[in-house]
Amino acid sequence: MSFQWSAFTGVLPLLLRAAMLNLELAAVIMVLAVAGSTGLTVLRSLKVSPVNTAVDLVISFVRGTPLLIQIFVCFYGLPAIGLNLSPIAAGVLAIAANSTVFLGEAMRAGLGTINPGQIEAATALALRAPVIWLRVVLPQLFRQILPILTAELTIIVKGTALLSVITVVEVLRTAQQVGSATYRPFEVILAAGLVFLCINLVIGTAGRIAEARLAVGRG
Amino acid sequence: MNFDTSVITGHLPQFIEGIGLTAEITVVAFLLGYAAAILLAMAALLPGRAPGLLVSGYVTLFRSVPFIITLFIVYYGLPFAGLRLPAYAVGTVALGLNAAAYYTEVIRAALLAVPRGQMDAARAIGLSFPRAMHLVLAPQVFRTVVPPSTSVTLSMMKDSAVLSSITVPELTYQGLLVQGDTFAPVEVFVAVTLLYWGLALLIAGVARRLERRLSRTHARTQRFSPLAAKYLSLEWRDRPA
Repeated sequence: MSFQWSAFTGVLPLLLRAAMLNLELAAVIMVLAVAGSTGLTVLRSLKVSPVNTAVDLVISFVRGTPLLIQIFVCFYGLPAIGLNLSPIAAGVLAIAANSTVFLGEAMRAGLGTINPGQIEAATALALRAPVIWLRVVLPQLFRQILPILTAELTIIVKGTALLSVITVVEVLRTAQQVGSATYRPFEVILAAGLVFLCINLVIGTAGRIAEARLAVGRG
Repeated sequence: MNFDTSVITGHLPQFIEGIGLTAEITVVAFLLGYAAAILLAMAALLPGRAPGLLVSGYVTLFRSVPFIITLFIVYYGLPFAGLRLPAYAVGTVALGLNAAAYYTEVIRAALLAVPRGQMDAARAIGLSFPRAMHLVLAPQVFRTVVPPSTSVTLSMMKDSAVLSSITVPELTYQGLLVQGDTFAPVEVFVAVTLLYWGLALLIAGVARRLERRLSRTHARTQRFSPLAAKYLSLEWRDRPA
């Protein structure tokens, strides 16, 4: 067997088109995860015992089980309790839940780096809780966890490849279809790898630029 | 909806076999990945720019490509190199190489965190390079390396579920087989999930014991004023009165 360049280059346009779906899904999931983890953090800060116990249990569960299984649970398990989701919806739900938990834990750690004096000052100025969150805590928190946000976005992009197992026709699924039709699975899967490599290199670079800019802003 | 426990009890041997293989794969891939990572992290310290760039390239490559794709690349690629290995071996090696990229980062960061002066001082008082490495650097690196290595190992254990896609009969694969037999997804995934969860807790527990042994010195925890804790702490169990 020898490597066939034409099989490799020939499939690239098709994969790039499929990559649009991965990017779209990743964008939606990222927005959901950032919103979800922010909400989760504020919720946990209220320190309602039963709520936090439940949240901790969910976090431990999500962190202790594979993303692939969570995707299967959303796709095969939820219909059994009457919730029928399309493959895309099930996949978005699973990855978003997973990332919400991971970003939530990052935010928990990030809170520790904020100077307590600021909260005391804000309270002394009679700022109300929503204002303290929106104007004092969250802006710093997001800046603090920016590297983690970029890392999570690449994790999300990689996660979208797993949706191929529940029949979402994204890059990997497209590659598998072409690979089995042409009997050149290796060249095609290599091309799929290249597509993900490029996407994540761009995300990584953009993240570093953003970090550098915000670091300047911090003075 | 009725929860049919017989689906779980009836296929218990299959689930046990699955989690056993998952645990085995995790251990082998851990050893393989860590050995590779130590070599890579050391190689990055070699003089000249090339070694550092090559190691960074390795890390970036594995971190940017989804593991499921890396796995298929290795799976389809080995025959090109004239190698035919069983799926189990291919999967474990791919998993180890993937984790090696993350372990390398962990080790490199830990090495960089040790102040340069310590190595210089150790050498100045007459320790040879290997002895300085062994007596001065290694204990500190070992301590900082454990917590992040644990989270990499946990991710790796979870990534092993992807090996089901190349027919390695680990836990996820067994779960899918049982589901095909019984059409009882809820029961199957409850069982599979609990087993993964248990294994994850086990790994985390072992790591915590190791961590406690290594760091006898008490870690300083930040104490917030009650006012600041309202926003900056999520700890709700033992609130100061």
